[in-house]
Amino acid sequence: MSPFEVLVLLAIAAFLAGFGGSYLGIGGGVFLIPFMTIVLGVGIKIAIATSLIGVIATSSGAAAVYVRDHLTNLRLAMFLEVATTFGAIAGALVGLRLPDFFLFIVFGVVLFYAAITMARIRETAKQRAYQAGDESSLSKRLNLGSVYFDQEDQGVYRYRVERPVAGFGASAAAGLFSGLLGVGGGFIKVPAMNILMRVPMKAAVATSNFMIGVTAAASAFIYYSQGLVDPGLAAMVIIGVFSGTNLGTRAMVKAKASNVRVAFAACLAALGVAMVLRLAFPGVPL
Amino acid sequence: MQDRIAALRRAVISEVEDRNRLIFHILRGGVVVSVAVLLFGFILVVLAGQSTIPDRSIPPRALEEELFRFTSAGYLSLGVLVLIFTPVLRVAFSLLSFLEERDRLYVLMTAIVFTNLVTSLFVLA
Repeated sequence: MSPFEVLVLLAIAAFLAGFGGSYLGIGGGVFLIPFMTIVLGVGIKIAIATSLIGVIATSSGAAAVYVRDHLTNLRLAMFLEVATTFGAIAGALVGLRLPDFFLFIVFGVVLFYAAITMARIRETAKQRAYQAGDESSLSKRLNLGSVYFDQEDQGVYRYRVERPVAGFGASAAAGLFSGLLGVGGGFIKVPAMNILMRVPMKAAVATSNFMIGVTAAASAFIYYSQGLVDPGLAAMVIIGVFSGTNLGTRAMVKAKASNVRVAFAACLAALGVAMVLRLAFPGVPL
Repeated sequence: MQDRIAALRRAVISEVEDRNRLIFHILRGGVVVSVAVLLFGFILVVLAGQSTIPDRSIPPRALEEELFRFTSAGYLSLGVLVLIFTPVLRVAFSLLSFLEERDRLYVLMTAIVFTNLVTSLFVLA
């Protein structure tokens, strides 16, 4: 493949990653890393560094729109960012010392876990709405509950945030994987917020998108200073992702929450299968 | 219908409107500036008649010199760095806005996040 073809294909892949990432609340690294390593033949560490840049672009482009449209829970994001930034630093430090093969295995396992979890979720308007009963005292103290307007059914939903401690722990793990694997960690954060903390799907997507940029920035600069960022590849990814998020955010704001959830689970399952195939046929050059 | 949507939105969340607007501009602005600098970098590749696009980023310390010499590698690296620092700027802004609200708990949390970011940017790197 000529260098020019690589750049064009990468820009197209980045466009799709930006679209999918902003629609699903993930950075798009789960698409970009396998695409770069398998199709374009880029080394995994360069691919991780490039993907981290793509994650920041997806996050910034998409989060801007979701914050403006009040889908993002800013307090919840800041609370969980404390966990993700600690995790990301640990992950980036460890990741640079780990063998490539190990990175692939961790990546595959995480994908499968998230796909299965997402496929089991249901969300109805009733579940989305504020439930009676006592809020956990920590959630109350942190003032985590919020309100958002859903274009799907023209409804205003007040929701509260449950199990803040479990969500905090899951976010620390998400941060660790982010630094380790160059992904935003959105595929852990979205299920963590949606399943564990009972945040409505769209608010979870928007809040995850808001957070992943910060997590990725902490890791990205470490990779940059190690000389692992290829500016040509990174530039194509940024430009492609930026165009993709412009369409993806528009689609998500109007979409049905259940569609967003199904798309999320399907994507992860497909990626998990791809990873297993790769591990089952180790003859394929990494 | 559009009017109704707009009215509902205003009714729900009017007080935080200004702050959200500013965050929107910071994030969006960061990406737009980054893309503009990258496109300038690509123009320099063409103008210099280079047959390949630079594949090594410029270390932050050497960046200034490259920018004055208008090298494509310098401007492509700058575009990438602008993007990396966009979320950092956003966190700094969040810190200011929680300070303004006098919300001590969130000032503390945001300060921790900011410290972590700065640590990874300048100490670890």
